[in-house]
Amino acid sequence: MAGYGGYGGGDGGGFMSGSQQGGSQAGGSKYADESLRPVTIKQLLDWEETFPGAELAIDGHPVTQVTIVGQVRSVKPQPTNITYRIDDGTGAIDVKKWVDSEAQGGEDGGSGAGTIAPDAFVRVWGRLKSLGGKKHVSANFIRQIEDFNEVNYHLLEATYVHLFFTKGAPGSGGGAKQEGGGGDNMFVDQGYGAGGGDVAMGGAGPGGGNSAMQARLATCSRNAQIMCNFINNSPGGTEGVNLHVIAQGTRMSVRDITNAADELLGQGIIYTTQDDETWAILDY
Amino acid sequence: MDNKSSTPRITCAYLSQYVGKLVTVVGKVVQLRGEEATIDADGTIHAFLNREAHLSANNGVQLIGKVNPDLSIKVLSSVDLGQGVDYNLANAVVEVTHRYKPLFVYEN
Repeated sequence: MAGYGGYGGGDGGGFMSGSQQGGSQAGGSKYADESLRPVTIKQLLDWEETFPGAELAIDGHPVTQVTIVGQVRSVKPQPTNITYRIDDGTGAIDVKKWVDSEAQGGEDGGSGAGTIAPDAFVRVWGRLKSLGGKKHVSANFIRQIEDFNEVNYHLLEATYVHLFFTKGAPGSGGGAKQEGGGGDNMFVDQGYGAGGGDVAMGGAGPGGGNSAMQARLATCSRNAQIMCNFINNSPGGTEGVNLHVIAQGTRMSVRDITNAADELLGQGIIYTTQDDETWAILDY
Repeated sequence: MDNKSSTPRITCAYLSQYVGKLVTVVGKVVQLRGEEATIDADGTIHAFLNREAHLSANNGVQLIGKVNPDLSIKVLSSVDLGQGVDYNLANAVVEVTHRYKPLFVYEN
């Protein structure tokens, strides 16, 4: 919380430098579109600047500010800034924290700069800059991480936001409903493995036609929902999908699938076909 | 110094896929014997530490190192994470890393 108090000071400094540099970009006045997105460093490195001065976009969505979490690999104090090399296991990038000459002397000026040592875990808020093809993050604020779990949390959050932009919000829109809604759609659709990309698309078709089934499915356990969605997206048709195919595709255990099958049979959502271990969706 | 290299987060189960590569492992120190450590990361991993390592038994640790052919890890850097590390969370990150590789891993 003490760090948060310092944020005000650091933010003030960062804003100044931001607006000075922003002068070249269409007046730099699109405050309404400001966003702060958690990302992995690889996402920043993978972004290709289509023309000099192009705005950062990830997954097709413009991003103004980013937050990254990583480990400090090196610290290079310079006359106007301190350059940190930050590595989050997905890549490494330079982060420049500009020295606020007015706030100098007071270590509490929001930078906390003097106290960050190599190997420390830090969270950085800032903007991605690209100069002569070399990228760095111009930091508004850097703080040291005290609870290591924040590192892992950040990576999950970055994934969640990526999925949000590429597959839609959980529990809204036709595609997402197919996945059973809820905040955990990331985990639901991870069960499909490679097929996951099609779920949002494929879901719109069958999902629209049988809303009664969707309503019943919503009351089932998550395993049952995963299994039902998997069968729905498999090409088996009326011949059904075998237990082992489901196990492979959803990475669920055989016992989980048997239980889920009992549940879905009880709800009248699926029926057995060739044998007791092959099921198809009852949707006619 | 190339930016574009990653040290993927893995657990015990993924070791065999990463022989000869640099990886990141978050786990719990089970046993320390000189420069050898036993780490629990969803399974037991043997790690050969460097001189700078300062680990304590039962604490969490983040290791970065190279996977040997015998699936032990030659540690290049280690950080003691203390108590309170959520290993389920760490394992979830490993799963997500492998599920959504474009976000996390450069394939070299």
